Amino acid sequence: MDANGVSASNDWQGRYNHIDQILEQPGPRTDESFGAGDTVKDFLRNQCKVLVIGAGGLGCEILANLALTGFKEIHVIDMDTIDISNLNRQFLFRQKDVGKPKATVAAEFIMKRVPGVTVTPYFGKIQDKDEDYYMQFHLVICGLDSVEARRWINATLINMVDSDSPESLKPLIDGGTEGFRGQARVILPTVTACIECTLNMHTKPTAFPICTIANTPRLPEHCIEWASVLEWPRVHGDKKMDNDDPEHIGWLYSTALKRAKEFNIDGVTWSLTQGVVKNIIPAIASTNAVIAAACCNEAFKIATSSAAYLDNYFMYMGNDSIYTLTFQPERREDCPVCGNNSLPIEISKDMTVEQLIETLGERPDVQAKKPSLATATSSIYLQSPKQLEEATRPNLEKKVSDFVEESGQIIVTSVSLPFSLQLIVHFV
Amino acid sequence: MTSDSQDIESATTAMSPVITDAPDSKTRRYDRQLRLWAASGQSALESSRILVLSGTATSTSILKNLVLPGIGHFTILDDAKVSNEDAGNNFFLEGPESIGKPRASEAVRLLRELNESVDGAAELSDISSAIAKGASYFADYSLVIAHNIPYSQLNQLSEILWSDVTLPHLIIVRSAGFLAEFSIQFHEHTIIESHPEMPPSLRLDKPFPALLEHARSLDFENMDVTDHGHIPYAVILVRAMDDWKAKNGGKAPTTTAERDAFKKSIYAMKKKSDEENFDEAVTQFRRAFVETKVPMDVADLFQDQGLTSLTPQSSPFFHLLAALREFCSRPPHTLPLSAALPDMKADTKNYVHLQKLYKTQSEKEKDEFKEILAQSGIGVAGVEMGMVDDFVKNCHGLRILRGKRWGALDANPTALASALLSSPREAATHLALSSVSVLLEQTPQKAITTEAVTAHVLNLLPKGTELPSEVEEALGEVHVPSHSHLDESADLTVSVRSPTADLPNTAAFLGGIVAQEAIKMITKQYVPVNGICAIDLIGCTTGIVRV
Repeated sequence: MDANGVSASNDWQGRYNHIDQILEQPGPRTDESFGAGDTVKDFLRNQCKVLVIGAGGLGCEILANLALTGFKEIHVIDMDTIDISNLNRQFLFRQKDVGKPKATVAAEFIMKRVPGVTVTPYFGKIQDKDEDYYMQFHLVICGLDSVEARRWINATLINMVDSDSPESLKPLIDGGTEGFRGQARVILPTVTACIECTLNMHTKPTAFPICTIANTPRLPEHCIEWASVLEWPRVHGDKKMDNDDPEHIGWLYSTALKRAKEFNIDGVTWSLTQGVVKNIIPAIASTNAVIAAACCNEAFKIATSSAAYLDNYFMYMGNDSIYTLTFQPERREDCPVCGNNSLPIEISKDMTVEQLIETLGERPDVQAKKPSLATATSSIYLQSPKQLEEATRPNLEKKVSDFVEESGQIIVTSVSLPFSLQLIVHFV
Repeated sequence: MTSDSQDIESATTAMSPVITDAPDSKTRRYDRQLRLWAASGQSALESSRILVLSGTATSTSILKNLVLPGIGHFTILDDAKVSNEDAGNNFFLEGPESIGKPRASEAVRLLRELNESVDGAAELSDISSAIAKGASYFADYSLVIAHNIPYSQLNQLSEILWSDVTLPHLIIVRSAGFLAEFSIQFHEHTIIESHPEMPPSLRLDKPFPALLEHARSLDFENMDVTDHGHIPYAVILVRAMDDWKAKNGGKAPTTTAERDAFKKSIYAMKKKSDEENFDEAVTQFRRAFVETKVPMDVADLFQDQGLTSLTPQSSPFFHLLAALREFCSRPPHTLPLSAALPDMKADTKNYVHLQKLYKTQSEKEKDEFKEILAQSGIGVAGVEMGMVDDFVKNCHGLRILRGKRWGALDANPTALASALLSSPREAATHLALSSVSVLLEQTPQKAITTEAVTAHVLNLLPKGTELPSEVEEALGEVHVPSHSHLDESADLTVSVRSPTADLPNTAAFLGGIVAQEAIKMITKQYVPVNGICAIDLIGCTTGIVRV
């Protein structure tokens, strides 16, 4: 490697002049540990290995930024294929790519546009990979639209921390957007607040009570839910509804429209039908650009120490002027992932198991979908397999206090929880 | 109910009349953004023409986020050839293959691939020749965006575009390393659809006659328990207040004790403890007596200079605003009622009935508004009907922004000093970028010393101003110019950082934030920044310096 950090044949003279202005000299706010010059360039360009989770709105931006910044070894995971509605912001995709895997198309585009960068795609789920896989990276950046996936990678990276081996601590940079709003944050597993510590900051999708949908609709959304949740299975039996099939959406739309007319409800449109059924969140290129840039800037600063990194949460609101807030959410002592692994819960002595299950789904700091409950010695209620569900179903009517004493433990498992949660029950 | 015997075939036949409502491919492509600015915003974008000065990484990042959502046309004005470092930091160049080619042409070609419906052109001349052509050259565009152009050219450009209100707005973007700022130069910007968070008032304290009559007509006592649990909270509150007034000499509760008693009276109306509609009424009980007035932000607009100097030539917005002022001067001294009823616990019958009451009254008040407008100077014919509807529907969020000429802050030492006190980080970022841009032009060839920049900053401020540490920190990040510093770096002993560094992440951040503001200006929806937005990507903070 020569003095200008030129190491590979693809690095033409002056390629990194802009970035090198930062890497060759410390600034007034740079940490003393910054090794200006070749050492830091070599780590960034020849050693650092980054994982990007998600190749969608944020992912496309993240990949392009990382590649231009000089990261050469990038992996990307995404389980989705390209849809026409992605093209207003996911700028690595074209009309001809519709239907192809996002991770693969994005990786190929980056490698073609930015010479010398290796992007390795994986078209599949993050859950397919094990700790050995995640251990190979220096940094993980997430551009996800699902709380469940965030919780999973968060718990996985925290589990990997081994206090005897500093390399086992993988900084997690997480971005998210919704319309003109977004957030970017840096999580140092077991050091700063994690996804689980701040779970109540994620907005929960609106759920409509089934009795309103079935009997007393008042909003167009209620009619659409009726069509998709009740009418579709009744009319089509086991045939699965495909959100992306216009025929299916058309059927839901006309069914919802008929019901709305019957109840004198206005406002059922095709667009709303699609929005409700697919739980669509508005998304634009500009917000994704801001948040992805903030995430990649943190990755660059962490990888090079060229400036202090974000401590630790950046919130962005762009609808009324521009308002941002940079703050430090605190670690939750009782965080079930990075804290002491048990959650105290106060309930009434009369609460039934069924009511507790409902509470666990609704509590913003738990959000357990269809949880199974057990004590250390016996099952209370199990969602599956079928035989056990049937066997434990009568317990739903019973009181929680029939199963545990004051300060007793209940173990909660759920598909939406990447860990088993221990509840410490206090009766009030 | 739909018949139970409905099978897939009959359902498919039944959907044929609505299949025409299925979105076309353009609507599908833009679906996620149409949910924010609707067809009206989209059509404004599609007829916009944007001129971008310089083909830097920041410029192409901004354009990317405007081409994707579908502006009409863009031109990049830039006479540079792609350099080695351009090919390294700009995603809209093809690496070494682009080196030596015209930067604007390469960028336009690659940007146009993002959206076939957007037209783009490269103009390979320098900025000063465009400036020499004067106002007529710029008049074709709806917006001009300039990134890191020399100080003197910026000065001339902003003067030309400020000279006539019909000329395009100008967005000035500056960046160096981790620091950046931008501002928008406009005389006046009026917004009907600001998309405010706060929903319009339900006016429960001043119920319109049909609502009051409906609330009075219900027999709460003898009603079926199920029906009782489905009366919307709005109706409960109107009724509870009406009953309260009947017992208290026509007066609403004013003291804390009275208000508590009123709250208890709502609890007492419950037939069963789990009636959620009554719980909602209790939570919302203040709405029954807190007086609905014209919101302060809207009332302030009634004093705006656009109204005091109203002429037939004034824009329709101000004629509509004048009519609104007249409307609000009449009892009940509120904005026209909104037809948008929020969701509340209720059954179909009760909710739909209430919705109808609001809709009918809202139509009635809109007609009154139109009558006022008809009698005004401009008359109804002077304003598009769609605009009148939008105006009335969104009147609780109306906004008028008044801007200053670019450079106004730097010409005002007192304002700069107070900005430095109230938001030191942001003001320091601005001072550093501003001073370096001036000095870069005066001494383009040699390194600028810390002393020279500090002296320039002090010159902008009132005599004797003490510089906070933020200024020193900002200057340390940006203060040495050197396009060719690689050749000289061995000789530099001072703290050299990033005076001309167009970092990919800073460029991408600006690309997002500036495009967002451009979209707000073009669509006239949401509220753009008024002032200087300063960005510090070391601490990851932003803030607005008021001008």
